[in-house]
Amino acid sequence: MKSVPDKDILLFRSCLVSVEYPGVEASTKFVFDKLGIDYAISEKQTCCTGLGHYSDVFDQIDTTAIGARNFRIAREIGRPNLVMMCATCYAINKKSVKLLNKKDDLREHINKLFDDNGLSHLKYEKDDLKPTENIFHVVDILYGKKDEIKDHIKYDLSGYTIATHHGCHYCKVHYEDTIGGVRDPNILDELIEECGCKTIGWYDHKRATCGTGFRQRYSNPELSFTATADKMNAIADEDVDIMVHLCPNCHIQFDRYQHLIGEREGRNFRAIHLNIAQFIALAMGGDFDKVIGVKAHTVPIDSVIKELKEVEQ
Amino acid sequence: MRDDLKVGVFLCECGGNIADVVDLDEVRASLDVEFVGQFENLCSLNGRKIIRDAIFDHDLDRVVVAACSPISHEKTFQDYVKPLNPYLMDMANIREQCSWVHSDRKKATHKAITLINASIEKVKQSDAVDPIYCQTPDEVAVIGGGIAGMNAALSLAKQGTKVTIIEQSPSIGGHMAKIGKVFSPVKIAEECGMCLLNPILNELVWNDNIEVMTNTKVIEAERRAGTYNLILEKSPRYVDTEKCLACGKCAEVCQVEVPNDWNDNLSLRKAIYRPFGQSYPEAYVIDMDNCDKCGDCFRQCSMRAIRLKGKPEKTLLQVGSIIVATGHKLFDMEKRPEYGYTRYDDVITQSELGRITGVNGPTKGKLLKANGEVPKRVVMIQCVGSRDEKPDGHRYCSKICCTVALKNANIIKHKYPDTDVLICYTDIRTPGMFEKYYKHTQENEVRFMRGRPGEVVKKGDNFIVRTEDTLKGEFVEIEADMVVLSTAMEPSDGTKEIAEILNVGTTEDGFIKESHPKIKPIATDVQGIFVCGTAHDPKDITDSIMQATAAAAKVNEYNYGGVEIEPFIAEIDNEKCIVCGDCVSRCKYKSMSIQEDEVYIDPMSCTGCGKCLVGCNQRAITVNGNIDEKILSTIKGVLSKKQEGERMILVFLDNIGYTAADNIGVNRLSYPESIHIIKVISVNRVRPKHIRYALENGADGVFIGEFPGDLMYDEVERKIQRVKDRISEMGQNPERITFSKVYIPYFSGLARKFNDFDEKIAELDEVES
Amino acid sequence: MQKITDSPIDFAEDIIHDVKNSKEEGVLKCVQCGMCTSTCPAARHSDYNPRDIIERVLEGDITILEDDCIWNCFYCYTCHSVCPVGNSVCEVNQILKQFAIKNGIGYEKLYEYMGFADSYFTAAIGAIPEIFFADIDRDVPGWWDFRQHLDEIRNELELDPPLMPPKDVIDEVSTILTITGFKKKIENIREAQEGEK
Repeated sequence: MKSVPDKDILLFRSCLVSVEYPGVEASTKFVFDKLGIDYAISEKQTCCTGLGHYSDVFDQIDTTAIGARNFRIAREIGRPNLVMMCATCYAINKKSVKLLNKKDDLREHINKLFDDNGLSHLKYEKDDLKPTENIFHVVDILYGKKDEIKDHIKYDLSGYTIATHHGCHYCKVHYEDTIGGVRDPNILDELIEECGCKTIGWYDHKRATCGTGFRQRYSNPELSFTATADKMNAIADEDVDIMVHLCPNCHIQFDRYQHLIGEREGRNFRAIHLNIAQFIALAMGGDFDKVIGVKAHTVPIDSVIKELKEVEQ
Repeated sequence: MRDDLKVGVFLCECGGNIADVVDLDEVRASLDVEFVGQFENLCSLNGRKIIRDAIFDHDLDRVVVAACSPISHEKTFQDYVKPLNPYLMDMANIREQCSWVHSDRKKATHKAITLINASIEKVKQSDAVDPIYCQTPDEVAVIGGGIAGMNAALSLAKQGTKVTIIEQSPSIGGHMAKIGKVFSPVKIAEECGMCLLNPILNELVWNDNIEVMTNTKVIEAERRAGTYNLILEKSPRYVDTEKCLACGKCAEVCQVEVPNDWNDNLSLRKAIYRPFGQSYPEAYVIDMDNCDKCGDCFRQCSMRAIRLKGKPEKTLLQVGSIIVATGHKLFDMEKRPEYGYTRYDDVITQSELGRITGVNGPTKGKLLKANGEVPKRVVMIQCVGSRDEKPDGHRYCSKICCTVALKNANIIKHKYPDTDVLICYTDIRTPGMFEKYYKHTQENEVRFMRGRPGEVVKKGDNFIVRTEDTLKGEFVEIEADMVVLSTAMEPSDGTKEIAEILNVGTTEDGFIKESHPKIKPIATDVQGIFVCGTAHDPKDITDSIMQATAAAAKVNEYNYGGVEIEPFIAEIDNEKCIVCGDCVSRCKYKSMSIQEDEVYIDPMSCTGCGKCLVGCNQRAITVNGNIDEKILSTIKGVLSKKQEGERMILVFLDNIGYTAADNIGVNRLSYPESIHIIKVISVNRVRPKHIRYALENGADGVFIGEFPGDLMYDEVERKIQRVKDRISEMGQNPERITFSKVYIPYFSGLARKFNDFDEKIAELDEVES
Repeated sequence: MQKITDSPIDFAEDIIHDVKNSKEEGVLKCVQCGMCTSTCPAARHSDYNPRDIIERVLEGDITILEDDCIWNCFYCYTCHSVCPVGNSVCEVNQILKQFAIKNGIGYEKLYEYMGFADSYFTAAIGAIPEIFFADIDRDVPGWWDFRQHLDEIRNELELDPPLMPPKDVIDEVSTILTITGFKKKIENIREAQEGEK
């Protein structure tokens, strides 16, 4: 296992988390605080360019120059470990660090642009950050502390049928760096086990995309929803209560569109959708409204979790 | 005193090859030695007489032969100077490195004089030393008792060599014993593998020259002058093979049932068991990890063959050579979870299919699913773990999986013509005669789909194989009720372990590496150790047997020929040595070891590079042959002939670089007369003091060439850099030293480098003058 | 006919030299095994075929830039994560799209996302373009209402800092996006698209 930091962390704000599921951020902080993880958030940090990048509006140089600026901010405040709540932020930032380190022409070109336009303070020097040592997803950090999770568990969620969805941009883009496998991803399953629960493990389409596909969801919804239906049908076949994921893109796709896809498929899909930070926060006793942020959810959390049972001490 | 030695110089005209360019009269006139002779063809038998007579008549102590390259005729002239010690003769290469690369008669003549003078000075420093002959013991260890090891052993034994087969499992036989049926590409038919293996096994068992040690592993090995001392550990069998009749009554009463690994865990066996019907030794064995020690078998055995106590025994085996035949294992399917092998019983490997269709297998040869039904459609997936550079995959093609799939598909079709068999492949690789078998398989109505499946999932009772039919360009989902995975071959754990124990090189994939993939495919990088079978790379039974018998031939070559070693190797002064072990860890060629509280140097692997010598604080190591002084005298010999305004560049090359330089002459390219090549046994023997001396005493430049494949390359490169730094500190121009890669075939590049360096030195001379 | 002067491999070479390419010579090593297509969600549900993309690239078929099917890729990177020869159709696809855009192709595909570009350029925020809000509101009951109460929900979760970045951040971001050529590109796309209308 690669080494995972628990301090000097910049918790990288996600535009989708902020406006769609703010409870993911609150839950991440809640769990990080419980586990004694040292992190901060910066108002100077901007969006990774996510949807802009993957709708092809932002070219690599645009995204990487924006990345260089964010990397500078992280270093300036002495928090060189970027930790992402969103899989796409994770993939994009990791790729930018790799490119800036490896492709001298690109780095020099961006630095020259900065120099020539009064932005010299943003310059990125080779190996300022390392892709494996500085760029993480929240799940990596949680995995690094997984042995301590059980010490903080308050509620027993083991009665629910739980499935995981791993987020392509966490698992597949930088597969050499992924904890818990790529072909049968398991980091979420392992974290859920630390909460005293079992997941269903493998199911058909477990490693498949949520179906968002960036432009597909907005410009090509037929294709997008058909792909999501594969997954929702597989989950329904397994009678899953709670689906746990690690990326707000997937979260939107499953939670916001479950009803619509159910209508299209002629099935009543009933799973609720939680980010892994929300799931752990819930198990650790986080408040539905003040931590989990259930009001942001389209599929009501209390449609499945009706009461909470405390773990037996 | 060395200066008083009587030196004779013999000039060879080489039928005009030398004399046409070099003015030998002038050369003769310039030499101040005891005797100078000249002959048209010195290498002819007449040359022998001329040289020998002169040695007797003039009481010569040393001889210089100015002729062709020592690469061509050093051995000849070492013989011609008898009774003088062969190492008291030195060759001045005035053909390949003078007359063939220069055309200006005056300059070539001067260069010849310089080269001869260098040889004279060098040979004065030579001492009489004897070549070292190593005769290795004839006994051979064959490690691994599969089809390769068995054949290697048998071949050696039939040629009269004593062989010990060391097999870690309770029986010899290896993978072939469990393979079920085999086929040959010529006979379009499958036949019983065991029936082919059994005669070999029997022959082996009855051959007095072969000892078979089962349950035995090599745990330690050391090498001493061509003798390998192997420490073997024999695990207890708990059954006396002498007494056991293999009646099987013990197993009948045993209550413990565990998965039978010989059947790929598809059936159960008892804790006391016989691996398979024809296993050898013909005796039962107790799997002590699973035995509950109830004693029932012990009470049942009328032969009193069972002993429930026992512990591993260590023994020493001394051999002269080793054949590694430790084989392969199959790819771990947990690394490709998308195919569902660990989730579903009816997703199996080709090896398991071989057991299932084998008459001695778990279903007595019936093709049955876990629920006891005959499958309706079997889909085979090729290249699982092979041709796959993703993490845990193997980039190479495992070579046998296409034909194994064809074979198993045919076996299914013969017995169950109604079962549909579909092979999903990327490329069907059936070179040579195998192509005929491929056609036969198609005629048998086995179907093929070109596409590499992405996943196998279970839907209801059946599997869905998701793939693309790449010839149609369509994504397809294929229903199947049995899926067979053609898994990659990878080096067995035993192969990896033995590589480490014997210190033989491996490929990046972990197979035992041959010493040269083209022309030395059986020797390893360690003298006296050979490899065969799938320990070397993926191959089929036929190729394994061919390589095994070739390995046997190589061992006999080695046994009969002995090994002659140039004596310029390191020697330890045990009076001074404190056995600190520093040299042992320094030696790149792994030739040093500590044995019985003394440092031992294996003459077969020492190259005389001198690395140990420089690092020894006790100054307890010397390298035979006065090398340092010889190099220094050669330098002096060259520089003393420097004329006013002459540019002199010294080039130090070892055997490889020297051969490349010869090739420049052989191909009649040219380079400047300033280039003076000095042959050294190892480039590492050129010490900083030599380089500094040369530059301070008239050399305009120093060129060091090294073959990048030499284990000392990096070291030498760093050393040269240090010398440059030092030279720089002393106010001299480090540009006058250059370090360069040399390769034998790349002689034209070397000639160009000589030219470039000469030009650069000329510029420096101009600037600094 | 493939003329003796044609050099089909140049197309693949251009892709290899693109800054986005992380797979070195991967595209050249394709053996058309089809594993990408076997696992591709777009291939499963549309006429997109990642293996065929590489085949056409290796044939030097630049008409692929104009082929609508390339816009069906989900960017899920499944092909990238399993390709046995170390190619990445997903990356190649992204590079092809940038080639297309540089050749003035596909502007209409980008036009819908101008809202993202605008909010990033003028407010340093990444946001779902407003042009899609009506669709979302139709498809997701309650979403519009939730968005109206976002501030309250965030307050209840005690989240700060606020959503809006400070002005100096916005200025820096706009400068960056001007000097990388992003601003100009967006203007061109807008001009071309709005000119057509």
